[in-house]
Amino acid sequence: MADVAGPSTPSRKRSRWDDDEDNTPPVEKPVQKRRTKSKPPAAGDTRTPERSATPTVPPQNASSRARPHHSLFVPPRTAHPPLVPSRSVYCYERLNSIEEGSYGVVFRARDKETGDIVALKKLKLEEEKHGFPITALREINALMVCKHENVVGIREVVVGDTLTQVFIVMDFIEHDLKNLLSIMPSPFLQSEVKTLMLQLLSAVAYCHERWILHRDLKTSNLLMNNRGTIKVADFGLARRYGDPVGVGGLTQLVVTLWYRAPEILLGATTYSTAVDMWSVGCIFAELLLNEPLFQAKGEIELISMIFKLLGPPTKETWPDYNTMPLAKTMTLPAPHPAQLRQKFPYITAAGLDLLSRLLAYDPDRRISAEEALKHPYFSESPLPKHPDLFGSFPSAAAGEKRRKPDSPSAPVRAADYKLLTEFD
Amino acid sequence: MSTALYPLASLAQIRNTPSRADGIPEDLELDLRAYGCKLIHEAGVLLRQKQVAVATAQILFQRFWYVTSMKQFGIGDVGMGALYLASKLEECPIRMRDLINVYDLLLQRAAHKLKHPPAPAASTSTTLTRTVTHDFKYVPMSYFGSTFYDLKDALVVAEMQILKRLGFNVNVVLPYGTLVNYLRLLGLTEREDVSSRAWGYLNDALQTPVYALYAVPTIVSAAILLATRHLGIALPSSPESCWWELFDADWEDVWSVAGYIMRLYRERSPQDQARVLGLVSKKAVRAWLDDHQPIAPRS
Ligand SMILES: Nc1ncnc2c1ncn2[C@@H]1O[C@H](COP(=O)(O)OP(=O)(O)O)[C@@H](O)[C@H]1O
Ligand SMILES: [Mg+2]
Repeated sequence: MADVAGPSTPSRKRSRWDDDEDNTPPVEKPVQKRRTKSKPPAAGDTRTPERSATPTVPPQNASSRARPHHSLFVPPRTAHPPLVPSRSVYCYERLNSIEEGSYGVVFRARDKETGDIVALKKLKLEEEKHGFPITALREINALMVCKHENVVGIREVVVGDTLTQVFIVMDFIEHDLKNLLSIMPSPFLQSEVKTLMLQLLSAVAYCHERWILHRDLKTSNLLMNNRGTIKVADFGLARRYGDPVGVGGLTQLVVTLWYRAPEILLGATTYSTAVDMWSVGCIFAELLLNEPLFQAKGEIELISMIFKLLGPPTKETWPDYNTMPLAKTMTLPAPHPAQLRQKFPYITAAGLDLLSRLLAYDPDRRISAEEALKHPYFSESPLPKHPDLFGSFPSAAAGEKRRKPDSPSAPVRAADYKLLTEFD
Repeated sequence: MSTALYPLASLAQIRNTPSRADGIPEDLELDLRAYGCKLIHEAGVLLRQKQVAVATAQILFQRFWYVTSMKQFGIGDVGMGALYLASKLEECPIRMRDLINVYDLLLQRAAHKLKHPPAPAASTSTTLTRTVTHDFKYVPMSYFGSTFYDLKDALVVAEMQILKRLGFNVNVVLPYGTLVNYLRLLGLTEREDVSSRAWGYLNDALQTPVYALYAVPTIVSAAILLATRHLGIALPSSPESCWWELFDADWEDVWSVAGYIMRLYRERSPQDQARVLGLVSKKAVRAWLDDHQPIAPRS
């Protein structure tokens, strides 16, 4: 399919790959001519190892000098990926759909060539009024730019039968944190929470360094493999910051409600990396509590829950509060101090300090991912647990049944937890 | 900024481009690439689009022709698709209708020029597209006419084909920041003539394939080389300490980039100039190929 000669109008025909039981290529598929088979980008073997490309163009002054050493900063030409067209989705065998009924369809699939198990996310391209959707471009770009141990790995983007079928191919990761938390018999241990938080923070720091805001950090967008490694996923709302907020600024739609920063709730028209850090704070709290921190039904309820937990904003905690567009419409409750300690009785003082810095009202003073990584919480006892020591869980995404948690581990965990709380 | 590696054409793709494999001579391919980029630039100016979006579009356009033949897609359609796509990538999207109108105007103007070539005496400029001749009148198309819908279809298809054929890797790194750094390292920050000239070469280079062929440091070195040579400024270039090695550029590569850029300034015959004006669509390219069979590609 990838090589239909000549342009064709995008048809509205639906994909066979994800609809039908039978996911073999349609028979009318045009036979490829001349073009060599495209290879996955990872293969990296499409270029010959010889170096300097000397295109056949004037002037030819080929003085063959010895090649100077390359610095670490400028990768050699051969380190750049070649230009490789998208492969067809039929390079993959569909296994099961991971997330049924949700907005984006995600499938588990097998690479027919390598046997690798992958996840395919089908992009929504129904609305063609403006060509390829800018949101899908941002999602793909963010994934390609943010290659990091704790960001889900994008392998390639493949296309289906028509121009409207595009799939992001990612490494398959067994769990998402939301599902995992719901099947876990007891909350994560402090040492585990630290490991997870360090991973999350280093991924977020990496994205922010590359000018990418995720804007939808929440537990269902955090994947976790059986080796205790978190992978940030779902860059569907990501965008570069420093860019002008484009047509129809998305201010109100950003970030799923429970994880939404107060400045967004109050109608801020510009936002920064701080919105992600607020979400990280909510996730931190969720890991400690084993349930979402602010389970509000609407924005008003969310704001009052925040005010209740953290105390209403003051001149000290949020100097610019009164300049927020929706501040005038709010009635602040009577001043009272934050209730964080009551809500998190077992966490150390350092842990509580980190949490309150992540949940700081003033976006300018909210802790950055870079700073948070250096927070004393991570260097005090208990130290972060090595990811290899995390238990493994049946993967719902792979269609595995939930089994009763192994009995030996449960009491140990409970005992550990008690021990920990005594440190506090 | 982003450290992700941007893609470059492989040696096999460079040696035998899809267009050349289809019998389009190298010289003609380079001319058509340059003209397609010029159209992108002119459309960008008329749309008051940001330079970063225009430059990104030109680089995507150049990459495209290492995976696709000009017999399969026209430089007009692909240029339009590239500008549309790049505008989204740079977060300054443009309206489809505006873009289509602007391209329609540019193509009508080119067709007019082809029909009424300027009197040889008046042709003082060597550029391929020149200001509107006084008797050219643009006839705006009707939004309900088929031209608009044809162009709209072509635009949507071109955008998607660019994405698909480039494997959705549309990461582009522009050279301007690097130029500023290098000039500082060479102690040339004060020389405004050097920086503006080098900047100009970098922009002109957008009409050549070099951004799809070489890493940014090599291209910036070539621009500095051309600028300093032109202004008679000597930089250390003895075998022990060559300034371009400071930037991890290979002399051969730098020289080759300079060659691509200098090629743009060649004096062209009126026939050569007219030839590209008539080959904006794939239909015209196909007809040209039929007329020029069998082709012995000159190299
Ligand atoms: N790479 C992956 N491996 C395994 N499961 C995944 C992967 N990517 C997504 N999922 C599952 O699919 C769900 C939806 O994916 P996501 O990218 O968040 O799409 P949406 O935009 O619909 O939220 C996730 O919550 C997760 O359960
Ligand atoms: Mg999601």
